[in-house]
Amino acid sequence: MPFSQGTGWNVTAACIEPLYNLMVGAAEIVLTIDLPYVDQRQVKLACPADDVLEIHAETTRKITFEDLGIKHRHGEFTCYHARIRTPVPVDETNIKTRFKRGVLEVHVARLK
Amino acid sequence: MGNGWISMSKRLSETDGFRIVETGPIPKKAVMINGLPDVGLVGLLASSHIITSLGLEEVGSLESELLPPMIVLHGGVPKSPVRLFANSSLIVLISETAIPVSLLRPLANDLVGWAQKNGTQLMLSLGGMAVANRQDIDTPKVFAAISEKRLESRLNGAAEILEEGYIVGAYGLLLRKCTESAIPAIALLTQAYYNHPDPEAAAAALTAVNKILELKVDVSELLKKGEEIRLRSKDMMHRTQEEMLKMNKMHEYDLPPLYG
Repeated sequence: MPFSQGTGWNVTAACIEPLYNLMVGAAEIVLTIDLPYVDQRQVKLACPADDVLEIHAETTRKITFEDLGIKHRHGEFTCYHARIRTPVPVDETNIKTRFKRGVLEVHVARLK
Repeated sequence: MGNGWISMSKRLSETDGFRIVETGPIPKKAVMINGLPDVGLVGLLASSHIITSLGLEEVGSLESELLPPMIVLHGGVPKSPVRLFANSSLIVLISETAIPVSLLRPLANDLVGWAQKNGTQLMLSLGGMAVANRQDIDTPKVFAAISEKRLESRLNGAAEILEEGYIVGAYGLLLRKCTESAIPAIALLTQAYYNHPDPEAAAAALTAVNKILELKVDVSELLKKGEEIRLRSKDMMHRTQEEMLKMNKMHEYDLPPLYG
């Protein structure tokens, strides 16, 4: 088993996997993603397949383990990245987003 | 044969539950605040802030052979992840690990037994209430489930009474056990993101605690350091979410079928 830096901290790619929550409704799925230290202009959202959403966001500043009070691990992070598989197919042409208080909310229509 | 059975059941009860180890003075007739990790980590964030702001001393820990085999280092010193802090009138319980679902009932039983022994005057549990439209809410609302009707006046208008519904997890069990043991108990549940650490909800919860207990804990630091707190608590939230799934926390959205 490869050595990992814990849940969602990819030192090699300088990327953090964000926390997200996915709710499936009758007509749409709603995804919320927690993105502290992100400006909404830096958020990129893609739909590479009809059951995958990909989020990438640069952080407004470099974040190190030391900033978070951890001195025995080394690593700095400059972005968030998540590839999220949706439980139902979604319509990539019908996506609405809003960003408030560092939380991205994504509404994607389900494919009919 | 008879003796064998007795010693076996004794051993089982010792390893099934929690041992509360007191390492400092425990105030009698105190208010006990519980900050266990759940929805939005509201209780843990709010309680940790109370400990820091009021400079509470560490006075004990909860040990169980059934907890994950881990310690947490603070200032280079190994500690139990479930600890008690206190001053002369307040005891605060926090857990820096998600409590496994199978341990919630023993936790509620042992904690209430210990609280009863110390003449605890009020059990105040702080938690989150997941709301789907959290993005639209600027000031999260605080709801209260109470162990007895007369506690309504104690809320001092800080929270709205929860009349119907389910409470899944440690706080529901604590409330029930406190009712049985005649310890006044309030569970304060604040609107929050389900699985994003929510310092704003923690600040709203603390504002309610300030009003109920007539404290003056400054919540501005919680809001100012919101982004840092959210990132630092990311992994804890992730572990907590795994336990919330196991306990079927979303059951709280269901309507209770009976009335009257």
